[in-house]
Amino acid sequence: MAAVTPSLRRSFLRLFAVQGSWNYDRMLGLGIGVAEEPLLRDLAARDGEAAYRAAVGRGAGFFNSHPYLAGLVVGATARAEHDHVAPERIERLRAALCGPLGSLGDRLVWAGWLPFLSALAVVGVALGAGWLAVVAFLVVYNVGHLWLRWWALRAGWEHGVRVAAALHAPGLQRAARLVAPAMAFAAGLAIPAGVAVLAGHVPAWSFVDLGGAAVAGFGVLWWRHSVFDGARLGLVAVLIALIVGAVVW
Amino acid sequence: MSIALCRVDDRLIHGQVVVGWGQPLHCGLIALVDDEVRRSEWEQDLYRMGVPSHIEVVFASVDEAVEQFAAWESDPRVAMMLMGDLDTARALCERCPSMRRLNIGGIHHRVGRTERLRYVYLSDGEVATLRAIAARGVTVTAQDVPTAPPVPLEDFT
Repeated sequence: MAAVTPSLRRSFLRLFAVQGSWNYDRMLGLGIGVAEEPLLRDLAARDGEAAYRAAVGRGAGFFNSHPYLAGLVVGATARAEHDHVAPERIERLRAALCGPLGSLGDRLVWAGWLPFLSALAVVGVALGAGWLAVVAFLVVYNVGHLWLRWWALRAGWEHGVRVAAALHAPGLQRAARLVAPAMAFAAGLAIPAGVAVLAGHVPAWSFVDLGGAAVAGFGVLWWRHSVFDGARLGLVAVLIALIVGAVVW
Repeated sequence: MSIALCRVDDRLIHGQVVVGWGQPLHCGLIALVDDEVRRSEWEQDLYRMGVPSHIEVVFASVDEAVEQFAAWESDPRVAMMLMGDLDTARALCERCPSMRRLNIGGIHHRVGRTERLRYVYLSDGEVATLRAIAARGVTVTAQDVPTAPPVPLEDFT
């Protein structure tokens, strides 16, 4: 990894405001430009004021992706500007990064890490952990969140236009595959656990049953992900539960 | 099957395309037509990353697309054709007479373009290109996602 410089740290802090000027013209673009600017400052001394201004302007053009991964494009384009990559090529890099960063971020965070930990926190509250579960959720979620932001910025800054290599990292790919079934597992525990708390007394054996169902669901999603998605599997499970319930009682 | 969607989108492959259109259309093949991307390994690598494994992505230059167009139309899978700019779209419309519909899915802000729709910004030259395409009998509409109503060309130029 490239050395951590004060300008990289400044860029990292500015990335927290990346959505601050979101608009339909440029979406995240202005925020990206503001976050990239510290990394471009030394271009002014090396290549002249005009080159610096042009690079900052390119950085602020239309862009959209997941906000936590926005650092990857900030780092990669800043590195490309330092490497004297042609402006057209930098614009093509920006265009090509919108899609993969958006879909990876959605899978990792909005459909993975966030609902996974929220569901675990609900389970924690249901088991009597109270505010501790809420605080633990906030701490653990943000450790992952901050790590992802920092990793993205450094990976981009390290790789420049060859940033696809960073996105192919086995750890990241494994995390993207694991997080969806893990989220489904946690949600499968959290919903009945939450219901149990709201409904008052529920016999202990039902938690064992529900845990078993959640583990089975995790397994089905893991092995047959091309056939089942989480929502479809959940609906089938609810249907089976209703039929069994109607027959037994 | 057929080519279910011919779309101009300057972001080419992203979530709106893969999830928004790909899922309801049951798309199995994406033909990405762009001379620059066809020549660039790292761009292809990035675009492929946003596509789930059950959808095949084919990268083609305009010339290759003209040759392949009939094959994509008769492919057993549902195909989507994506183009990044209007010059590519015009070249394909001129050279593939069976292309009867063109979807404008996203052309974003750049200096010299003005806002026509929230997701469509066009320069005057690009408006003329679109009118020339329509004059050939191609139905041009703007629609970012399938759940939004299509906007006819007259209403956004």
